[in-house]
Amino acid sequence: MSQVLKTDAITMQFGGLTAVDSLSLEINQNDLIGIIGPNGAGKTTAFNMITGHYLPTKGNVFLNNEKINGVRPAVITQKGIARTFQNIRLFKDLTVLDNIRIAAHSRCEYGFFDSIFRTKKFKDYERKIEEEAISLLSIFKMQGYSDHLAKNLPYGMQRRLEIARAMATKPSLLLLDEPAAGMNPNETIELTKLIRWIRDEFKLAILLIEHDMRLVMEVCEKIYVLDYGKTIAVGTPSEIQNNPKVIEAYLGSEGVENE
Amino acid sequence: MDYFLYLTQMCGIFMILAMGLNLINGLCGQFSLGHAGFWAVGAYTGAAFSVFTNLPLPGFIILLIACLLGFITAAIAGLIIGIPCLRLRGDYLAIATLGFGEIIRIIFMNMDSVGGPRGFTDIPKLSNLFWVYFFVVLSIIFCANLIRGGYGRAIISIREDEIAAESMGIQTFKYKTLAFCIGAGMAGLAGVLFAHTTQFISPNNFTFMWSVIILLMIILGGLGSISGAIIGAVILTLLPELLRLLGPTVSEWRMVIYSVLLILLMLAKPTGILGKKEITFSFGKKEKA
Repeated sequence: MSQVLKTDAITMQFGGLTAVDSLSLEINQNDLIGIIGPNGAGKTTAFNMITGHYLPTKGNVFLNNEKINGVRPAVITQKGIARTFQNIRLFKDLTVLDNIRIAAHSRCEYGFFDSIFRTKKFKDYERKIEEEAISLLSIFKMQGYSDHLAKNLPYGMQRRLEIARAMATKPSLLLLDEPAAGMNPNETIELTKLIRWIRDEFKLAILLIEHDMRLVMEVCEKIYVLDYGKTIAVGTPSEIQNNPKVIEAYLGSEGVENE
Repeated sequence: MDYFLYLTQMCGIFMILAMGLNLINGLCGQFSLGHAGFWAVGAYTGAAFSVFTNLPLPGFIILLIACLLGFITAAIAGLIIGIPCLRLRGDYLAIATLGFGEIIRIIFMNMDSVGGPRGFTDIPKLSNLFWVYFFVVLSIIFCANLIRGGYGRAIISIREDEIAAESMGIQTFKYKTLAFCIGAGMAGLAGVLFAHTTQFISPNNFTFMWSVIILLMIILGGLGSISGAIIGAVILTLLPELLRLLGPTVSEWRMVIYSVLLILLMLAKPTGILGKKEITFSFGKKEKA
């Protein structure tokens, strides 16, 4: 199985605070990996380093064996990492279709003047992009909504649109930042199926941050647990559930000490 | 009737200016207050070309070359100012562009070859109603085609959410610079037409106040809407003149009435007259905004 992402002991320091301390991830194609940890453990910071929003203080990030730290986020996306955000960041005042088409723009084949003079190349490519976007929307069960403004969609659907938009960049690694946040139990069950289905259908690797333990334990094959920036455990869901260090991080140390 | 002809031409010139700023501010979401500076660059470049070169060519060809030159120099000025400024956001960007706009004006104030503070006189009257509205239509088609293609969508995505746009593979700095250059270029084009309409330009034509008035036009019409920019340009060009016609008492108070009307309109409809909507006409199959 080919390796998609490797982080080589990446560390992020903000002044005196070490938000992430030597995190080493290894993600292969078709992997479904979770990062969990209490609030403030450094999960989103790790995401921001992988996607290029932060430059790691120490350590390197490799995507398909190519070093990518210091590369601009947009270029990293073009190289194959797509992400969603903890608090939804859709293009709110644009239609669902436009949201998807914007994500496809980095693969745009026509030039600026093609778009001004409406050349055949422009029209052909626009048609292709639109067809791709519509088929992507139907995969995510949103085919009837392409003309709706993103801000008018119900919450669960906005989350789904954000994943669909990330998929439109054709990534080899998808990062999901708390995809189930704010969803009701039914929506979470559906999301669980969807995540697994995306992985199988598109043959990509998924790395997700989530607080909903049911989703994480059900969907992830390997879990990294962070606490105060440090990786305190790595393993399968059942190993993680019985790891005393993890229980300590989540429930506090007193219970463990008294045993 | 010359007065009305002049006003109609000024409406057209402000339409181009407003559409240019709409591209920067309304579509790309970058708050620029230096638009009058680019207007000045275009006006002075175009005027200098037609006055100093004196080519033995028909007037309209000289005007067209001047327009091209005005567009290009203003776009280059936009590039030079945009590269450092567009790293800033929001209010900081506004202040930086405001400063650059004033710098451009002061440079012309101190250039004796173009008249300095006395102004640039004896510019040939090459522009007329036809050419002004020819470029208005061209600008409308340009903007409408731009926003309905991938490049326009990339520019709009920056207004919507810059971080998300960057994460979707849009190189935000590149597209911000692109929008800024085109917007500045359009201001330059308007400047060439302005110089060849009024036949006299001086640095005082391009003060910071005008950047604010152009900004008001697009806010009034609806930020992000091309038709809104056009409507805003017409209203804000004609309103002070209309109030002048309503007798001496109104005329004395016209700037006050003008301001009150603006305040009332913004209170009644904060998103502007059209919001983000466009007025569209269908000509057969082809759609035009």
